[in-house]
Amino acid sequence: MTTQTAPAHAAARPAKSRAARRTPPRLRTVGLAGGAYLIAIFFLLPYLEMILTALRPHNEIRDRNYLPHHFAFSNFINIWDTGLGTNLRVSLEIAVGSTALVLLVAIPAAYYTARRNFRGKRLFLLLVLITQMFQPTAMIVGIYREFMQFNMIDSVWALVLVNAGFNMAFAVWILNAYFGAIPKEIEEAAIVDGCSRVGAMFRVIIPLAMPGIVTALIFTFIAAWNEFIVALTLTTSDATHPLTVKASSYIGQYSIDWQHLFAGSVIATIPVIILFALIEGKVVSGLTAGSVK
Amino acid sequence: MTQTTHPDVRGAGPGPGEARVVSHRPGGPLRRLTRALAPLPWIAPATGLILFVVIWPVVAMFQTSGQHYSSLGFDMGSAGWKNFTRLFAEADLTSVMVRTVVWVVAVVTITMLLSLGVAQLFNKQFPGRRVARWALIAPWAASVVMTTLVFRWMLDPNNGAIVVFLHQLGVVKDFNGTGSNVLANPVSAFCWEIFVAVFVSVPFTTYALLAGLQAVPADVYEAAKLDGASAFRTYLSVTLPLLRPALLVAALINVMNVFNSFPIIYELTGGGPGNQTATTTIFMYTTQQTNIGEAAAMSVVNFGFIIVIVLLFLRASKWNSAED
Amino acid sequence: MKRRLLALSAIGVAGVMALTSCSSSSTSKATTSDGTTTIKLLAPDYGTAGGPDSSQTYWQGIADAFHAANPKITVKVQTIAWANWDQVATLIQDKQYPDILVGDAPQELAANGLLYPLTDVMSQSTISNLIPVFAKQEETSGVAYGAPFTTSARAMFYNKKLFAAAKIAAPPKTWADLQADAAKIKALGGGNIGYGLPLGPEEAQGESFMWMLGNNGGYADASGKYAINSAANIETFNFLTSLVKAGDTQPSPATTDRKTVWSDFAAGQVGMVGGSGALIPIIKTAGKLQTTDWGVATMPGKTAPLTSALAVHDDITAFKAGGHAAEVKQFLDFAYADKYQIQFDNEYNLLPATTSASTSLTASDPVAAGFLATVPTSVVYPNTANWNTLKSKIQQTIGTGVQGTDPSKVLGGLQTFATSNQ
Repeated sequence: MTTQTAPAHAAARPAKSRAARRTPPRLRTVGLAGGAYLIAIFFLLPYLEMILTALRPHNEIRDRNYLPHHFAFSNFINIWDTGLGTNLRVSLEIAVGSTALVLLVAIPAAYYTARRNFRGKRLFLLLVLITQMFQPTAMIVGIYREFMQFNMIDSVWALVLVNAGFNMAFAVWILNAYFGAIPKEIEEAAIVDGCSRVGAMFRVIIPLAMPGIVTALIFTFIAAWNEFIVALTLTTSDATHPLTVKASSYIGQYSIDWQHLFAGSVIATIPVIILFALIEGKVVSGLTAGSVK
Repeated sequence: MTQTTHPDVRGAGPGPGEARVVSHRPGGPLRRLTRALAPLPWIAPATGLILFVVIWPVVAMFQTSGQHYSSLGFDMGSAGWKNFTRLFAEADLTSVMVRTVVWVVAVVTITMLLSLGVAQLFNKQFPGRRVARWALIAPWAASVVMTTLVFRWMLDPNNGAIVVFLHQLGVVKDFNGTGSNVLANPVSAFCWEIFVAVFVSVPFTTYALLAGLQAVPADVYEAAKLDGASAFRTYLSVTLPLLRPALLVAALINVMNVFNSFPIIYELTGGGPGNQTATTTIFMYTTQQTNIGEAAAMSVVNFGFIIVIVLLFLRASKWNSAED
Repeated sequence: MKRRLLALSAIGVAGVMALTSCSSSSTSKATTSDGTTTIKLLAPDYGTAGGPDSSQTYWQGIADAFHAANPKITVKVQTIAWANWDQVATLIQDKQYPDILVGDAPQELAANGLLYPLTDVMSQSTISNLIPVFAKQEETSGVAYGAPFTTSARAMFYNKKLFAAAKIAAPPKTWADLQADAAKIKALGGGNIGYGLPLGPEEAQGESFMWMLGNNGGYADASGKYAINSAANIETFNFLTSLVKAGDTQPSPATTDRKTVWSDFAAGQVGMVGGSGALIPIIKTAGKLQTTDWGVATMPGKTAPLTSALAVHDDITAFKAGGHAAEVKQFLDFAYADKYQIQFDNEYNLLPATTSASTSLTASDPVAAGFLATVPTSVVYPNTANWNTLKSKIQQTIGTGVQGTDPSKVLGGLQTFATSNQ
């Protein structure tokens, strides 16, 4: 509880520091930075604990100290040796596959609904909006039955489809706003210059909408990468388990193998954080068009 | 990533091409038909995906709620409204519903308020801002299941890091003793569940609001400054109204995520003791283990909830655009 | 044992739902023109998939040896993690029957007419070698539709170090002893737990049953009718409530799972806990207690230790749909050899299901011998058709009966559920 107060304090700070306009700017910057760093550390603490636990030797796992006496890097080697490479590959296939599929179907739909009026447009957008409200958790049973009927249990493709289906709505939504914000004149100018409409879309519209596309991409990628329940339900063999399911197999019938569970979690989390950090700036500007008309 | 997706994007080419040809064709009854069909190449793949992956299971869920199932899961024929009457006869249902509303309202409100502050702070210039923003990514990029498990581990009454810390502060007297297990008491357990939910929701919300803040033109602030408005007043009367669309979107996404949230409560308490920390999503899961039809009925009720939220949102956004 | 829970798991439920239109594809006879047959075996994984202790390895070993001896029959082995076991229910709803299923009790399946009677798929000599108390459990109206495959018995583990520190001479025999000893261990300080009471959704039906037995109660009365809210059971839960209130257990039994309590015990923090052989490897891995630091005793009862322990088992059943009774019979007789029974028990610290394997294990393994000695007189769960469903309900609710909710209300609710869902 005590740690919890950190963000609240910091949250109050900007208003205060603004009011205190007369304080020298340098002091103000230090205050701002200090508050921001505190918040940043606060949000990192659980993941620090995750890494520390992953490094605990098994005989120190329930010790009451913050740092273990010895660091057992072998935990990472152990779980890598159980074939984690395969699971890493499956996770990548699912995340890349569903991201590609989402962009493939969402870009044309978003572009057309942003540019044209047609009968059924409202219905389509309403359908998208409703889809946005659902998460697979609530419908896992129906999903299982459906893929059973199509004989697609234990297939990476099924996971690609499900992840794409449930994440497409957000992509359509954000891209629709983005395409809508691009003035028609730019596109028409390109057509006058001799581009076809499709050519104009690729040469002019898509580059202009890139921040939106990147945002849709990263959202889908993260959601698909972290998806757990559908994967747990639809995959039965080790070779089709993504990392999330594999990590959870360290929760056994009689015991929880915390250090290996968290070692798997660390391996599963780091690639996404790196990917995210690389394009962080674009995500912020990408959300802009989606949120401000 | 971007590179790998390019070929696929180009693969969409044939669709647009077709549409262009169609739109330039001369009149006739055929033309009306082709015009009605023109959107198809563009939106049919998206619609198909939604129908296949999302709508199909929804229909299956409705069907299930009207059938009677044996404990093995064999369909024993129509149950009429029996699954629903059983559901509404559950003694715990009312408290579960109330708790769900509390859960959604509390988590979303706290998240929005905190994120407003954090976004404001992270929108300022200071050295190391980029690195500080990266830190915020962790809870967003990590899976909620993993994050929740770390919290469960840190709250372990025997050796959890938070409990060890509280012990050093003297708040917790004995490990494994009274007060050491915050997940034991339904009230404190639910508070911690709300805390974890806020923890994982703040990063996304902050980013969404940051985007909104960056879109506010600087001259608006200049104008406010010239008018002699205080910083606080400027925030209330200038920043907040301009942020409203971003707030609305962030709130909606949060409401949906929090309403549907399963792993946090499931991993921390499983909805227990009994159903004393369960929301409707958790309640559906536990019911499923004893009565499939009744669980489907719960899903249908959840569906109703969601429709209500969508309608409220549509209203709110209409009200919003009318005022603009 | 028996599946449970899935900690992370999920909503896995997959299972639970039913199919409206089932495409059944498994009925094709897998007998080719050259007279070879393939039978499908589906088993839970008691180890970690992909790991060295995976049950896939165990079954594949038997299948290979069997194929070498019977070249015309191939056994196709598939294992599913216990955590994902709900998938089996879905397979069955989808009529994707295996020929042999390891894991589930036969009653529900038999009631739906899916199973061979045991005599069709196992020779008399193998059947008569099954431990009687478990074999009896397989019956539906006097006919057995399955066989026990692996078993385990429960007893009380206690921490000798903590007992010595608290100056307790011998493990408790009665509830009063247990309460006094638990209080002493707690009084040692250092965050020790007197008695670890796991009544969370993972395994509450087992822990509750052990305590009910101590007061001559149980889930059913002598005639086999449900008697969950009997006066004896209510008294038992009142006692547990007082134990919890006094702080002699860990806080919040209703949300504590067995694996947490076992892990605490292995860490040396728990005085007493109900356990089975499966706890032993956990103690060894944790590396905090030496073999001499813990002991096993009979579970105390209200006035005397239990005369019969709780024993549980997992089953083997054979499905009719494939029509391979003769081949299944050959395979099961082969797989029930002492060698394979004991191999399984050594791998997972469980107990055999046959008399001959028990005898030889008793001779070679003193710890297993202690547990095995309790088996012949042991008590088992009801074998009613709705037990599985009732068990889920018990797991979800019974723990609240020791944390402030009136036990007669909790147990009464379960009794109503049990009798109205038959």
